Amino acid sequence: MALEVLLVEDSKTQAAQIKETLESVGLRVRVAYDGPEGIRDALDNPPALVVLDVKLPTMDGFQVCRRLKRNPATQDIPVIMLTEKAGPKATMSGLRAGADDYIPKDIFASEHLIGTLQELGILE
Amino acid sequence: MVPITGPYNMRPPIMKVNVEDSMDIMIVRDTARRASSLLGFTPAHRAQLATAAATLAELVLKTGDAHTINLNGVVNGIKIGLQISSETPWLTGVSSNNILVALRSKLGDLVDEILLIGENPPTILVVMWLDSTRAQANIDDDSE
Repeated sequence: MALEVLLVEDSKTQAAQIKETLESVGLRVRVAYDGPEGIRDALDNPPALVVLDVKLPTMDGFQVCRRLKRNPATQDIPVIMLTEKAGPKATMSGLRAGADDYIPKDIFASEHLIGTLQELGILE
Repeated sequence: MVPITGPYNMRPPIMKVNVEDSMDIMIVRDTARRASSLLGFTPAHRAQLATAAATLAELVLKTGDAHTINLNGVVNGIKIGLQISSETPWLTGVSSNNILVALRSKLGDLVDEILLIGENPPTILVVMWLDSTRAQANIDDDSE
C-alpha cells in the first residue's frame, strides 16, 4: 500500500504541482490548506511525511513544524519545508523548528524533494 | 583556474560554478546540495550548506562581475568537510576585520568556519565539518 503524505500548502496551483510530483513516485497525497488544518489532519491520521509550505495563512510553516515536532504523537514524522524564503535566517528558522529538509521552490525543487524522500526512507 | 586550496587539504568532490546572473544562484545552491550529499551530510545540513553557497553567490553577483564559486571536499586530520570559496577582487584593500564581521552576520549560523585568505585578491572560504550528528546513515564511502 502506498505511503501517505500530508501536504500543507495554501496555493491550490502549487499544491496541485507538488501533489503531482509526489504521486508520480507512487505516494498518496492529501492536502491541507492552512496550518491548523494541517496539524489537526496530522494528529487525526499521522502520515508518513509532511511537506509544508512556509508562507501560510493563520499560522506560518515554522509554527506548524514546531507544533508537530513538540507533540509526541507527531514528533517522529519527517517534515520537509518547501519555500520561497530561502535566505540564511529563514533556512535556520526552518531547521531549528525541526524540519528534516528545507527546499527552495526553484527549478530543482522536485528533484531535491524526491532525493530527500529516498534518503529519509520514504521511497526505495 | 587553479582551485582555491585554503588551509586544508582538498578531496573530492571538486566542483565550480561560474556566477553571472541570478539563474546561477540556483545552480550554486543545487551544486552545494550535490557536493554535500556526496560527502554524506544529512538533508538538513545540505540545506544549510546550499543556503551558505547561495548567499555567497548573491554577494558575488551584487558586485556586477562574473566570478566563480568553488565547492570542494576538505580534510583536516580525520575530519572531512565541505569548503565553499570565492575570490573577491572587489574587496582588495578593505579591512579583513570588517569583511569577517559582515560575513559572520550573514553566514555565521550556517557554517563552522569563515576565513579570509590572501590579500590580492582576498578569498572568502567557508567550511562545514561532517560529524556524527551531521552524517547521513549508511553512506557508502566509495560513492564518489
